Amino acid sequence: MLTLHLGVLLALAWAILALTFLHLKAKAYGKRRMYSKAAGDPAQGAFYAFTKGMAPWAKESVMMNLPSYAAGMVFHAGVFTAFGLLLLALIGLQLPSALLTAARLLTLAGGFAGFSLLLKRCLNPQLRGLSCPDDFVSNVLSSAFALLAFLGSFGSAAAGIWMTEAILLLVYAPLGKIRHCLFFFTTRYHLGAFFGRRGTYPPGGSSHA
Amino acid sequence: MPELDELESRLDCLTAADFQLGLEVFRSKLKEAEASYLNSCVHCGLCATSCHYYRMDSTLENIPAHKLELIASVFKRNFTAMGRLAPGLVGAKALDKDMARAWVDSVFGRCSLCGRCSVNCTIGIALPRIFRAARAALGAMGLVPSDLQATVDNALKHGNNMAMTKQDWVETVEWIEEELQMETGDPGAKLPLDKQGAKILFTVNPREPKFFPLSLQASAKVFWAAKEDWTMASDPGWDLTNYGLFNCNDEQAGAITQNLVDAMERLGCQTLVIGECGHGYGSARWEGPEWLQKSYPFEVKSILELMDEYVRAGRIKLDPSKNPIPVTLHDPCNLVRHGGICEAQRRVLRQATTTFTEMTPNREHNFCCGGGGGQLAMARYKSRRIQSGGMKAKQIRDSGARIVVAPCHNCIDQLMELNKEYKLNVQIKTVAEMVAEALVPNA
Repeated sequence: MLTLHLGVLLALAWAILALTFLHLKAKAYGKRRMYSKAAGDPAQGAFYAFTKGMAPWAKESVMMNLPSYAAGMVFHAGVFTAFGLLLLALIGLQLPSALLTAARLLTLAGGFAGFSLLLKRCLNPQLRGLSCPDDFVSNVLSSAFALLAFLGSFGSAAAGIWMTEAILLLVYAPLGKIRHCLFFFTTRYHLGAFFGRRGTYPPGGSSHA
Repeated sequence: MPELDELESRLDCLTAADFQLGLEVFRSKLKEAEASYLNSCVHCGLCATSCHYYRMDSTLENIPAHKLELIASVFKRNFTAMGRLAPGLVGAKALDKDMARAWVDSVFGRCSLCGRCSVNCTIGIALPRIFRAARAALGAMGLVPSDLQATVDNALKHGNNMAMTKQDWVETVEWIEEELQMETGDPGAKLPLDKQGAKILFTVNPREPKFFPLSLQASAKVFWAAKEDWTMASDPGWDLTNYGLFNCNDEQAGAITQNLVDAMERLGCQTLVIGECGHGYGSARWEGPEWLQKSYPFEVKSILELMDEYVRAGRIKLDPSKNPIPVTLHDPCNLVRHGGICEAQRRVLRQATTTFTEMTPNREHNFCCGGGGGQLAMARYKSRRIQSGGMKAKQIRDSGARIVVAPCHNCIDQLMELNKEYKLNVQIKTVAEMVAEALVPNA
């Protein structure tokens, strides 16, 4: 198990380093110097984009696809919880039983939600048309990670498989679309800042002309 | 279709150097934000229903994520390590003849750059920024639809996108001035040309003098009522349009913008006022300084903001009972979502009409009319344009209004076609026309 722990730590270090490299590479494209006079505040726009702008009711696309959106949220919650459990396992800490039960439920639900989205991707011709192998690999790795976290949390033999799977996931994360764990934040920031500068975000804000 | 034959013959002539140039131009348009966008899409597909093209024709090609992926795949292949090492895994593809054809069809033929997908994207990708980079690349490869390019060429050559001569423009202004004097009964009501030191330089869409003189007359009447110190230019600098926003050639767009800057300097005006035009406002107010790589030494305003100021300051008085027919408002994408002008027109219309009804959805969530992004200038995509406008037609019908106010002449052209195609039986007017109608004389 010690070897696996070491492997996870090394994979984590790789993921952090590689994602940092990707971030720096994106930043190396340079910041666009803006010459037009701002109508609003980019910071307020970014704040809106990360808060009210993420609410389901702020997006028609979400309201029209609530089951998929909900599955996505549960999937992400499950994966994040699984990472939490992984860190605790690495440092040898145990959650209080009530919290552990909640975490187990989240990882279980997250795993199933992830696989339900994979099933949707396989069955829906348009979603299949949008996909490349990376979409399937990323989903399988993440969903399995959540489910194995559930099984591994019982301290069974599954813990070893979970750790191995975690290594695969962490190694793959910067290589495929899981890199959105980083770029989600930068993208949302840029969108918010763009609309904030133009006075579109926050809607109804003081700069709204 | 001759336009498609022309595209195919151009594609056949492309050399490796053309593709390389396209890639270089594409790369040159990417900054930190775009690099982030191109690394972000998770192909969830939830953006599909945000697109008016997809809503009216639910094919894979109309899903914003698919349009983005066409471009992202080339980005990955050429500018990422994984795209070079494992292209099949991450969906990286080369920019070749088939891909160039797909790009043209996608970014010119299936997108009006309205940005509705941006505000609906679960990640937050500003897709039009990427589509603009792709259009720029296609332009470098000579693949901009010729009729769209002709509009830009007109502006570069003649100083306006409809190739009006100075004589035609000046005579039309003089004729409208006579009409205004008759309407107001005031021989002092003017449409000033080249008035040195006027506070405001007012710019118009050439469609106004060419096809919609009443629209220009209405704006002039509002200025007259507000006792505004204004002028227009007789030389280049009177046309607010800039189709460089759509062919995405920043150099050409900058040259067209320069006409406005030169006119402001020549006439010594303080504020550049953009008439009712979405892309004209977006070009002059937001993109122009970026194209020119310098800040303006003057202020840029939409006439909507100005009319709002007049009403709020009591410079004009309006009688809403003069506009009793139910009115709804179309939100031009470049003016509202991308322009930030959202409430001014609403405040004005509430004062100028008795029954103002919002479309659903509205403001930054509005649907594009289908005429944006240069679509009106690209004949080859006309049937798609009319079809995609079906969402707007539905919104109009659902509003129950009999007048649609559209503060954009491109939108007005499209709405007029939709009015006919979808048998909406509505009148289509500008905000200034509604305000001019509601003006209380000598107030």
